Amino acid sequence: MSEVALITGGGNGIGRAVALKLAAEGVVVEIVDWDEAAAEKTCDEIRSTGGQASAARVDVRRAPEIKAAIARILERHGRLDILANIAGGSIHRKPLVELTWAEWKEVLDINLKGTFLFCREAAPIMMRQKRGRIVNTASNYGVTGSALRTPYSAAKAGVIGFSKSLALELAPYGVLVNVVAPGPTDTPRVMANWTEESRRQREADIPLRRTGRPEDMAEAFYFLCSPASACMTGQTLHVNGGWVTP
Amino acid sequence: MKLRGKTAVVTGGAQGIGRAIALGLAREGASVAVADLQREKVEAVAAEARNFDVTAIAVQTDVAKEDSVANLARQALGRFDRVDILVNDAGIFPQARVTEMSEQDWDRVLDVNLGGNFLCCRAFAPSMRAQKYGRIISIASGIAHTGAVAGAHYAASKAGIVGFIKAVARELGPDGITANALCPNIINTELPQSHRTPAELHERLIRNPLGHAMEPDDLVGTILFLASDAASYITGQAVNVNCGTVMI
Repeated sequence: MSEVALITGGGNGIGRAVALKLAAEGVVVEIVDWDEAAAEKTCDEIRSTGGQASAARVDVRRAPEIKAAIARILERHGRLDILANIAGGSIHRKPLVELTWAEWKEVLDINLKGTFLFCREAAPIMMRQKRGRIVNTASNYGVTGSALRTPYSAAKAGVIGFSKSLALELAPYGVLVNVVAPGPTDTPRVMANWTEESRRQREADIPLRRTGRPEDMAEAFYFLCSPASACMTGQTLHVNGGWVTP
Repeated sequence: MKLRGKTAVVTGGAQGIGRAIALGLAREGASVAVADLQREKVEAVAAEARNFDVTAIAVQTDVAKEDSVANLARQALGRFDRVDILVNDAGIFPQARVTEMSEQDWDRVLDVNLGGNFLCCRAFAPSMRAQKYGRIISIASGIAHTGAVAGAHYAASKAGIVGFIKAVARELGPDGITANALCPNIINTELPQSHRTPAELHERLIRNPLGHAMEPDDLVGTILFLASDAASYITGQAVNVNCGTVMI
C-alpha cells in the first residue's frame, strides 16, 4: 500500500517540488495551501504523470481548518506516513523598530505556530501507527540571523528548537522529526525581490556558485522521508551550496 | 543503482564503518579502491566488493604517511582514471585521560584521524578539480560536539575534521566538489567492542532516543545520499546520524 504524505504549502516553490518528488516516488500526496488554485495545479501535474494527489485550502494559522483537513485525509486513506510542513515565508522585511505587533504575529504564526498545529494533529496518528516522518522547514536565517528579518529568524530558529523537542517526544514511537534548512531558493516569490546584479553578488559568495533550486530542497525532504535516513532524528539538514556551514 | 559508473576511494575500509561503506558503494554500482593499514582484511573486503560486479582494488595504506597516501592516489587513479568519491573513514581511538596522555598518543590520533583527512583530500582534490566533479565525505563523530572522557585527542581530531571539511567545501565548491562530514554516535564495530563486555556494549549502544543499536550499515543510506546527485547542493555540512543522541 502506498504511503500517504501531507504537504503544507504544496502549491508553489519548494512545497510544489516536494509534492512532485514524493509523488514521483509513489507516495500519495495531499496538499494544503492558502492558494487553492496553485495547490490544484500541482495536483493536476501529479495526476498527469499517473500520480495520486488532492488539494485543500487551509490557513495554517487556524487549528479547526487543520483538524478538518487531517480528519479528511484519515477518512480517505486511513493513515498518514509523512508530514512536510513547508508553508511559510519571511513576509515582512523591515527594521525591528518599524515592525507592528500584528506583523510580528503573522510571521511567527505562519512559520512556527502552523508547524506546531499540524504536528499536534498528525503526531497521534503516527504514534498509533508506530511509524511516521515529520519534516519541518527552517532557513539558514534561523541560525545566522538576518537584518530586516527579525521575526522570520526567530520563527525559523523556533522551528529548529521545536523539532528537536518533538523528536525526543516521538522517538519512543518510531516517529522521526527532522528539519530542512534551505538557503535562498529560486522560487518566484524570492526572485521577485532580486535583481540580476544582486543574484550575481549572492552567487559569488556561495561556494557552489549557484542559487538553490526547489528540486535541490525536494531531494533533501525526500531523503528525510526515506528508509535511508532511518537513524536520523532531531537533525537540521542545511541545503545552501555551502553558503552557511553552522 | 545510484552510482553506476562512478569510482570511489574508501580509507579505513578493512572493517567496521569503512567496510560497510565500501560494500554499500559497490552495491550501488561504484568501483572502489579500499584502503587500510590491515592488508589481508582490506583485500578480503575488495574481494567481497567484486561480488557486486564492480572493479575493486585493495591498497595497503597508512593515511598518516605522505608517501603511502601518494601511493594510494597513484594506484586508484591508475586503475580508474578518475575518482569521483572520497570517503575518509580511517581513524583510531586509543583511550587515555589528558593527564595520562603521552605526546605520542596525541600525535598518533591527530595524525591519523585529522592528518589523514588532509593528506587524502590533498591527494585527490587535483583530479576532482580537473574533472569539475567530486564528492568528499569524512567520518567525524558526535564526540566532535560533545567531547568524551578519555577521548580528548579523539574529540579534537573529530572536531578538527568538521572545521577542516567546511574549509575544504569553500575552497573546492567553485570546482563542483562537495565536502561534508558525517557524525555518527557509537556504532557496533570492532573499536567499541575492544574494551567492553557484550552486555555493556549492548546497553551502551541502545542508549539513545530511538533505542536502536546502530550497525555500520545504518550509515550507508546517508553516505549514498551525500555521494549521489540528489545532494549536489549540500556542502560544508556536518550531518548527524545518531538516532537522536546529539542534535547540534
